[in-house]
Amino acid sequence: MAGLFKRVYDWLLRTFWATEMDVTMIGLQNAGKTSLLRVLSGGEFAIDSIPTVGFNMKRLQRGHVTLKCWDLGGQPRFRPMWERYCRNVNAIVFIVDIADVSLLSVAREELHSLMSQPTLEGIPLLVLGNKSDLPNKLTVDELIDAMDLKNVAHREVSCYGISAKEETNLEAVLQWLMKFANR
Amino acid sequence: MSYGKKDEDADTGLIKIDRTQVFQEARLFNTSPINPRRCRVLLTKIALLLYTGEKFPSTEATTLFFGISKLFQNKDAGLRQMVHLVIKELASSAEDIIMVTSTIMKDTGGSTDAIYRPNAIRALCRIIDATTVQSIERVLKTAIVDKNPTVSSAALVSSYHLLPIAREVVKRWQSETQEAAASTKSSGGFSLGFSSSSANVPVNNSTMTQYHAIGLLYQMRMHDRMALVKMVQQFGAAGAMKNPAAIVMLVRLAAQLAEEDSQLRRPMMTLLDGWLRHKSEMVNFEAAKAICDMRDVTDAEVTQAVHVLQLFLTSPRAVTKFAALRILHNFASFKPSAVSVCNPDIELLISNSNRSIATFAITTLLKTGNEASVDRLMKQISGFMNEITDEFKITIVEACRTLCLKFPNKQASMLQFLSGVLRDDGGYEFKRAVVESMFDLIKFVPESKEEALAHLCEFIEDCEFTKLAVRILHLLGVEGPQTSQPTKYIRYIYNRVVLENAIVRAAAVTALAKFGVGQKDPEVKRSVEVLLRRCLDDVDDEVRDRAALNLSLMQEEDELATKFVKNDTMFSLPYFEHQLVMYVTSDDKSAFDEAFDISKIPVVTREQADAEDRTKKLTATTPSLKPPKAGPTKAAPSAADAAASASAAAQKYAQELMQIPEMKEFGAVLKSSPVVELTEAETEYVVSVVKHIFKEHIVLQYEIKNTLPDTVLENVSVAVTPSDEDELEELFFVGAPRLDTDVPGKIYVAFQKVNGEGALPTTTFSNTLKFTSKEIDPTTGEPEESGYEDEYEVSEFDLGGSDYVVPAFAGNFAHIWEQVGAQGEEAEETLQLSGMKSIADATEQLAKALSLQPLEGTDVPVNQTTHTLKLLGKTVNGGRVVANVRMAYSSKTGVTTKITVRSEEEGVAALVIGSVA
Repeated sequence: MAGLFKRVYDWLLRTFWATEMDVTMIGLQNAGKTSLLRVLSGGEFAIDSIPTVGFNMKRLQRGHVTLKCWDLGGQPRFRPMWERYCRNVNAIVFIVDIADVSLLSVAREELHSLMSQPTLEGIPLLVLGNKSDLPNKLTVDELIDAMDLKNVAHREVSCYGISAKEETNLEAVLQWLMKFANR
Repeated sequence: MSYGKKDEDADTGLIKIDRTQVFQEARLFNTSPINPRRCRVLLTKIALLLYTGEKFPSTEATTLFFGISKLFQNKDAGLRQMVHLVIKELASSAEDIIMVTSTIMKDTGGSTDAIYRPNAIRALCRIIDATTVQSIERVLKTAIVDKNPTVSSAALVSSYHLLPIAREVVKRWQSETQEAAASTKSSGGFSLGFSSSSANVPVNNSTMTQYHAIGLLYQMRMHDRMALVKMVQQFGAAGAMKNPAAIVMLVRLAAQLAEEDSQLRRPMMTLLDGWLRHKSEMVNFEAAKAICDMRDVTDAEVTQAVHVLQLFLTSPRAVTKFAALRILHNFASFKPSAVSVCNPDIELLISNSNRSIATFAITTLLKTGNEASVDRLMKQISGFMNEITDEFKITIVEACRTLCLKFPNKQASMLQFLSGVLRDDGGYEFKRAVVESMFDLIKFVPESKEEALAHLCEFIEDCEFTKLAVRILHLLGVEGPQTSQPTKYIRYIYNRVVLENAIVRAAAVTALAKFGVGQKDPEVKRSVEVLLRRCLDDVDDEVRDRAALNLSLMQEEDELATKFVKNDTMFSLPYFEHQLVMYVTSDDKSAFDEAFDISKIPVVTREQADAEDRTKKLTATTPSLKPPKAGPTKAAPSAADAAASASAAAQKYAQELMQIPEMKEFGAVLKSSPVVELTEAETEYVVSVVKHIFKEHIVLQYEIKNTLPDTVLENVSVAVTPSDEDELEELFFVGAPRLDTDVPGKIYVAFQKVNGEGALPTTTFSNTLKFTSKEIDPTTGEPEESGYEDEYEVSEFDLGGSDYVVPAFAGNFAHIWEQVGAQGEEAEETLQLSGMKSIADATEQLAKALSLQPLEGTDVPVNQTTHTLKLLGKTVNGGRVVANVRMAYSSKTGVTTKITVRSEEEGVAALVIGSVA
């Protein structure tokens, strides 16, 4: 019975107070963007997903908010196109593979060059350290240093450690994103 | 519904759509939430711009593209369809289109019944690049065999477009394509009719999928003849194919197979015959056309086809009549007798209200008619000549011209007709056609000369076209003095001097002068002089100059004057033009140190030029027994085209050879042989050779193509050994450092003639290809470090007499035959050519093998059992070679020929015969 009420309530919310927000998910290849999006939308974690050619688009429904998630390919050939899909979005999610230290410097370069774009001024940034289930990983503090997040100015920045595979900390991610709905 | 109103406004303003404005509006794509309706209208505008030829610059297209890619967030099916459509069109101009690959792939997904699935498939093949084709392989494979014909067609057509970038991948889809071609799934849509969802694919009963599948199958099996034969037989069986367009493909394929392989001719003919009775007109026409276009088609084979076409002539629909008539018209050009059974039906069409049909009817009748019916036809044409447009008039005049050349006896009625139409109203092109026809009459039918000249004189009295007037005046100057009453023309010409503009006056003065110079009759000479003197007061410089020059020439000795005014020889113009072009476009600066040397240009007599001209005109309008093929097969070029392409090829060779520094000093190429294939076309390495003859050297140009995938050949060379090493000495060779797959490379081997300039060595060359073969590493795309040395033996070829001979023209064969016979030597040979199926075949083959020019129209045999072929040529040293070939045909022994060759130079006659013996 409670479930029914919840559904009716959700439907009312959707119909009368529905809001949509755009979220762009970027990061180097094999960071886990597509997997994260799949898990967030209620799908199963798949170990062998194919690289994204271009982008994927998925809509997530959370209460009265619809999150339109643009999951962009992380291969070098797609990186110049990130900026186009980050313009005017409500939030940018940058995903880093914290189990692969060798790629951190590249990730930092890409993130900072993107953040210096004038078109993206003021857009909140969420840095996610994915694959926290693997052994040799960085902690969140180490990640903040490695990515030099202290020097990302003029915007709200947060950094979480998550695992798409084990579904840890995902709720926090959604909560953070929802803050920026309707801005 | 306020939007709806806006839409209507936009609709009325469609014509005014402006690119920049649309580009501004495209900001709409970035709004949130998306309004599918408005976006669709905007996408339609973009599509309209693209379809009407507007080009978006790359940056704009890219911005648009990224905007559009954001629309994928909306699920509206109609919008999605439009998005796919526009992305497909933008794919060529926008950058980074690869971006939408994943998204579009999702839309092509196998299970959905979404309406946009076919659109997604078609868009996908446009944005994919060669490296990612494999990732969509599974999607396309399932789509090809999809039960919905629209999806299946989309996948098949997309595969077709993918062929150029990923042939190997697409080739793996053969069995799916085969299945798509065989299935007659027109009923698939009915069950869908119950589900009312608007997103579902609408019912599609078309069998067009079969057509697409057949097209794709052909592309996949193009190089495998046996597979093609199987395909034609399997799908050609009655009832196997429902789609007429697919059968039309098969008809063309069958015709092509019959053309390429004589073994297949009989079974294919049977199939074609069957298709003549198919229930679709489209198929009937294609089959009839294929049969009529078949090489050396016999009367028996063609009867049925002509009969079918004849039935169509009485069809009530104009387009059917037109199509049938057009095929008959083409066929009549080379087998008039077979078409003549249709004459009664065609005659009914002469007065058809559709002028295209009427014109074709007339011209067909002119071809099929015999001498007796010509008069009647001419009368009929004159009846409606002034009702048709200039273009049709020209067609008819051209047909008449050929007729005049064919039946010189009819010149009187022709001339009457031509002079009649000359008086009609008409534009320049039409008048030019008429005047040229009359020129030809004067040139080739001497009996008509005086009367034709009279008509032309009359015409220039009232001619509004300066160009034509000038040409006619020139002709009057050339021909007039030789007529019985030259004075008659002088009056006409002088009238021009009085009445016309400066250009015509100048031409008239020159023409006048030709009557005066060398004139025996003092009376005429004096009056011409008087007339020319008056011209000295002309207001125009050119006219005065010409008059003065000609006056002083008239005082000179006749011999000198004649040389100036009535010079009968001229430069060989095609060669002259080629040399000038070569000189002007030369890349080498030193070429301009010297002035252009005109003395190198061969001089031909007017008679020779005329003979050449006549051959060209006859072949241009009456094709030889092997008609040019329409459709997908290789066109067998007509004689005129062949001549043009041969000279183009010669120019190309010369340019290529000149780029090799060592060969510059060899001088000009005297003769390049046709391409000799040294391997079969399907072998691993395809090798052909062209023999270039220079004054003291011979250069062999090998063209080599490596057809093995994933290998490169390095340091490629050819080891050439002449059988007779005393006469030729190898100088050097230019090898090819690297040959990639399917990229042809050239290798040159140069020989010196040991016995000097005049020698004409004959020998047989044996050749072996030598190279280092390396495999390409599939991961890097680079050839591997180590390779292995390999040799590849190719066929031998001969350097024979015909390689030193170039075809030449002349008007009078008997005269040259006697002339050459008196001073030269003669060789004779009797040959049994059992391989030849007909006299026509043998005629063409022999002229080609001997590399001589058929004269006096003997290249088209009249009689099917005996024929005499008269041939003329010149050796590269300039000596004449004449050949007289007598042939007899019997079905048992083939063609028996007796070849007699006479030559001015010693030993050449035997050499030339040697090249066919």
